Amino acid sequence: MALSIAAVTKTFGGLTALRNVSLSLEPGEIHGLIGPNGSGKTTLLNLLSGYYVPTEGAISIDGVSFTRSQVQDRPGVGIARTFQKPRILGTLTVLDNAMLGGWPETRATFMETALALARPRREERKIRAYALEILAGLGLGHLAHLRANVLDHAEQRLLEIARSLVMRPRFVLLDEPAGGLTGTEIEQLGAVLLTMRDAGMGVLLVEHHTDFVFKISSKVTTLHFGEIIAHGTPEEVRRHGEVIRVYLGGETT
Amino acid sequence: MTSVSARGALTALCLLAIYTFPLWTPNLYLLHIATLVAAYWVLIAGLNLVVGYAGALSIGHVGLLSIGAYAFAILVGKYGFDPLATLIVSGTLGAGCGFILGLPSLRLPGFYFAMSTIALAMIVAEWSLALDGLTGGGTGLPVPGFNSPFNTPAGFYWLVAAIAGAVTWMTWNVARFMWGRALIAMRDSEVAAASVGVRIPRMKLIVFTFSGFTAGVAGGLFASLQSYITPETFVFELGLFFFVCIIVGGRGVILGPFLGTVVLTALPELVGPLAKLGSLFYGILLLLVVLVAPEGIGDFMRTAYERLQKRPAKKMPHPDPARLFAAIAKREAD
Repeated sequence: MALSIAAVTKTFGGLTALRNVSLSLEPGEIHGLIGPNGSGKTTLLNLLSGYYVPTEGAISIDGVSFTRSQVQDRPGVGIARTFQKPRILGTLTVLDNAMLGGWPETRATFMETALALARPRREERKIRAYALEILAGLGLGHLAHLRANVLDHAEQRLLEIARSLVMRPRFVLLDEPAGGLTGTEIEQLGAVLLTMRDAGMGVLLVEHHTDFVFKISSKVTTLHFGEIIAHGTPEEVRRHGEVIRVYLGGETT
Repeated sequence: MTSVSARGALTALCLLAIYTFPLWTPNLYLLHIATLVAAYWVLIAGLNLVVGYAGALSIGHVGLLSIGAYAFAILVGKYGFDPLATLIVSGTLGAGCGFILGLPSLRLPGFYFAMSTIALAMIVAEWSLALDGLTGGGTGLPVPGFNSPFNTPAGFYWLVAAIAGAVTWMTWNVARFMWGRALIAMRDSEVAAASVGVRIPRMKLIVFTFSGFTAGVAGGLFASLQSYITPETFVFELGLFFFVCIIVGGRGVILGPFLGTVVLTALPELVGPLAKLGSLFYGILLLLVVLVAPEGIGDFMRTAYERLQKRPAKKMPHPDPARLFAAIAKREAD
């Protein structure tokens, strides 16, 4: 069931963004990915979600490779992601934004939809009910019918997570979900991520708030100049000499 | 829920007014204008899915209108085809041409796609002028009317209005189900759309082909209403006019572009001084909309409506882990 990245290298022209990186994301775990700016964290996310194709190496789930499949095909293999800057559709309601995550399971064709046949109606009902449940679980239920552009930053972050959850993924990739959140909001985010983990999802957490990462992750990988310099439990990585030297600085000593 | 039933009642009243219009219209000229609005709307309603929802900037739909119109004039006028059946032929031809144009060009970024639609309009205009054996060239072609009961102004109006109503209903369905969300996602954030699995080029092509069908049907109706067509009937400005109706009306809504079509078609005809200053009138209106209500009339009204309602008191979201867990787990059991 694991999502595995095997010996992946990604170069852009002469620049090597990732060199021989391997890691595996298990269901029911939060895997933290940390490292200085430019160390290749977002590149790795973009490879996993299909925006980039690896120069070398393979990405697979349960041994089924989808290294070169396109962005639009990733939801089908069970991968959802959020973005550093939330990609929310401001003119739609909060509920509509969450329901967009139901697109991968939408089978109704254009003509079936135009003629309002049974299938689009049924899918609409099902996706709406599920999105409302997810929104309620994330504490956004009272905002469901507002336009998304009136949400504040933390609410937008949660709404992006809602959309990714409505996709019913096996693996969720989160790109700096705690960025711009207050201490209390980060705590709430932590509770949400732990719930996702307990419900059996594999969560890949790219984040600069290292205390947050160490607190909720079961494994942590550190990248530096495109290479893995440390990998292990939060405790091991936190004490790792090179990690402290290049990234954490004195903050954990 | 009073506002919902009030809206329902208002909608019903408007529909009643629209469909009984021939019974209370003060004169036949107004009925002619109303029929013209309805014929334009058949095209614009389809185009609205392309421009207002999918966000592809087609300003050359007049080319597809022209193809449908000439097909109708030639098949019915010269070869005596049944007018109603020919509407379907016109629509299919429009859809085919839309498909052929859209297949390569819908992958182009917005501005370049707009250019390719202009190219289509120009090609069709030249073609209709050059093939004078078929199209009558610069002299044009007479276009027959429909058979009874659609051979009177009122009967024809009802035919066009019924088709316009059917097309509106179809686009409304597309807009309110999952397709509508996916189309708007394509328009506002291709990144978000792709991340939930929306196949952007394919969906744009489907919607564009549908708009080609409605443009072709509109062409047949429009030609029959005009009763005589020449290449001059399908000037490029008409394509721009369709596009402007949607922009003025607002993107991502249906009522707005409809009001845009009514106002922009009827006002210059009905207000004498404006007829002479038609282009100036469009220019000023467009400028006003872009400056005052850049999202269009529809959005302007929606925002005003929302201002009347209060945002729920500011309350921090409180995730409920137990409920979230239950939601995720329940769905996995499906």
